[in-house]
Amino acid sequence: MKFSQLPLRLLGFCIMMLLFQSCYSVRLVSTKGTPMPDQHEDEELAEAKLGDFYKDKMFTVVKKAIPASVFTESIQFPIDQTNCESGKLFSVEYKNTLGGSLLYLATFGGKRKVKITYVCMKTERQ
Amino acid sequence: MANTTSYPKTEWYTLHRNGPHKLKLLQITRLEGQATIPSAVDCYNDAALEMQRLIKEALDNNHGFRAYGSRWSMSSVAHNKDRMHYNAYMNLSFPILPQDMHSNANYDSTNLYFFQCGNTVKEISQVFEKNGKSLKVSGASNGQTIAGCISTGVHGSALNEGSVQDHVVGINLIIGPNPEDIVYLERHTKPALNDAFAQKFNARVIRNDGLFNAALVSLGSFGFIHGVVVEGEDLYLLKRYVRKIDKKVALKLSETMDFKNTDFKIEGETDANGKGKTPYHYKVFINPYIDDGKYVVELMYKKPHRSSYPDPFTTIDKSLYRDVIHLLIQISRKFPKSIPWFIKKLQKQILPDVNEESLGTLYETFWDAPYKGPAFACSFGVDVKDCAKALKVLVDLTKKEGPIPGIYAMRFIKKSDATLSFAQFPTTCMIEIDGVLWKESKKLISLERFSKRMIEVLQQNNIPFTIHWGKNSSWNFPGLVDYMYGDKAKTWKSYRSALLSKDMQKLFSNDFLEQTGLSESESDDIDIPEDLIVSL
Repeated sequence: MKFSQLPLRLLGFCIMMLLFQSCYSVRLVSTKGTPMPDQHEDEELAEAKLGDFYKDKMFTVVKKAIPASVFTESIQFPIDQTNCESGKLFSVEYKNTLGGSLLYLATFGGKRKVKITYVCMKTERQ
Repeated sequence: MANTTSYPKTEWYTLHRNGPHKLKLLQITRLEGQATIPSAVDCYNDAALEMQRLIKEALDNNHGFRAYGSRWSMSSVAHNKDRMHYNAYMNLSFPILPQDMHSNANYDSTNLYFFQCGNTVKEISQVFEKNGKSLKVSGASNGQTIAGCISTGVHGSALNEGSVQDHVVGINLIIGPNPEDIVYLERHTKPALNDAFAQKFNARVIRNDGLFNAALVSLGSFGFIHGVVVEGEDLYLLKRYVRKIDKKVALKLSETMDFKNTDFKIEGETDANGKGKTPYHYKVFINPYIDDGKYVVELMYKKPHRSSYPDPFTTIDKSLYRDVIHLLIQISRKFPKSIPWFIKKLQKQILPDVNEESLGTLYETFWDAPYKGPAFACSFGVDVKDCAKALKVLVDLTKKEGPIPGIYAMRFIKKSDATLSFAQFPTTCMIEIDGVLWKESKKLISLERFSKRMIEVLQQNNIPFTIHWGKNSSWNFPGLVDYMYGDKAKTWKSYRSALLSKDMQKLFSNDFLEQTGLSESESDDIDIPEDLIVSL
């Protein structure tokens, strides 16, 4: 590496660190119950996209850009029953990304990007 | 009818990315729904028929067949190159009623439950807890399935409780495709359930101590473990303390297990004479790259259960970016000398906080494992009297021929009756090094080489040892199993040969068994007594 490239690389590193920080997620996890297991078709891809937490768990991602207005107080999504036989939730994760924040700013709050990932409880039979 | 989906595959990894291992077919069975088969017993028997169908199919294709659960083992013990079956959806459970008990049983029926193979430790704990009961012991976390736990000898550090398999009192195996190939095993000296119970599951009963002990830690090769009877006890709480103490004191306690005559005491955990009480659990953490004369230790004391106690889940967990871990590993391949530095930086994630205290049930204390990324673990069992010597030998090796990205810990287990349990000594000290999986470089020793060197240095120092079946090791090391188990390995093979037909021995074998010499059939070399596995 040439010495003259060092400031550029440092700048790149700093931008990467800032991007990391603008991208965060908050996850609620039940302390009772067992997550629905799964063996993902493309495990590496699932891990790279979502992280280790979802490894061997059956998960559903709700990813939508939703229009908001002064009349909208809250938004509700039904749980997809095909991936949630038990009908009970084990974890819910809300993720904020840089793209989501930019969309919100660019549309003056008119559009909000929502990314929610949830895992249901394992089906029980006794 | 239970429904199996088959997926053509080319490779398979363990949960912690050990591999790749070759695979042809992954099979996943889901139980029939309650609306179609309302009776849980009928549903269980329906699943048994499905397993027999899959076994027959594998046999007809000249394939091997191996079940796995949560794939937590890092060795290839759970792997088969042909067909693997994912058990996790097979999670029925049944209470044991007084009328199910054997007339000579010495168990309280309310402490017994029958669990299908795919129940995880977490699910089992929840079933027990709903009934005011608890498992007696678990591993350091709760994700393993019960069949996987007992097959590989999962253990905690409960000084007087042994490993998970030591609390199994009955095993239901499927050993072939025919009706007579469903068997229920118990010890004849400690019967638990009556024949009528086993007959509900169409099982042939064999009560035989030798066979039962051999089948307990079976490495998945005594047939398909369909269900097990587990003994629990009344629900209890664990008071957990973390302390940093003089390393000489920590090692003395490890060698002697004498918590009474030591200067190290925890306030409130002493008897009427002011002597220290023996804890339920004792664990020592050792960072091989720092020697400040002290070790972090974790102790837990059993307390009667009460309904009101502070919520043990109050902390906020922050997870590290996978990319950061990956970056650190890449750096350490080029600059191995940075490993001690980054272990120190990650110490907060790896080691418990000193002076941390908590109170919770076994279920709450040994909760979900936070890290599921690429990892390795090597774990050796030695007699406690050798633990300080063995630890020094292994730490010296790590410093001299490493460094490697991991830290050591010592846990302790009571001797097991299972023939191939690695808890072979009166009290076995499990010396383990856990860390992030790395790749060999010019400057960094490979995991394979490091595993081999660990065996060599212990042998050179005349320290008898065993190795955890589910952990990384140089499993093809010449004469390894004979060195560890001697005649016990032959006994185990004899029972396996007596229970399984030649076809089934081959079907339930795998590369791991072949590497370790455990797949060899004893019936070729020695006469197996005809009455070896009769019901006594």
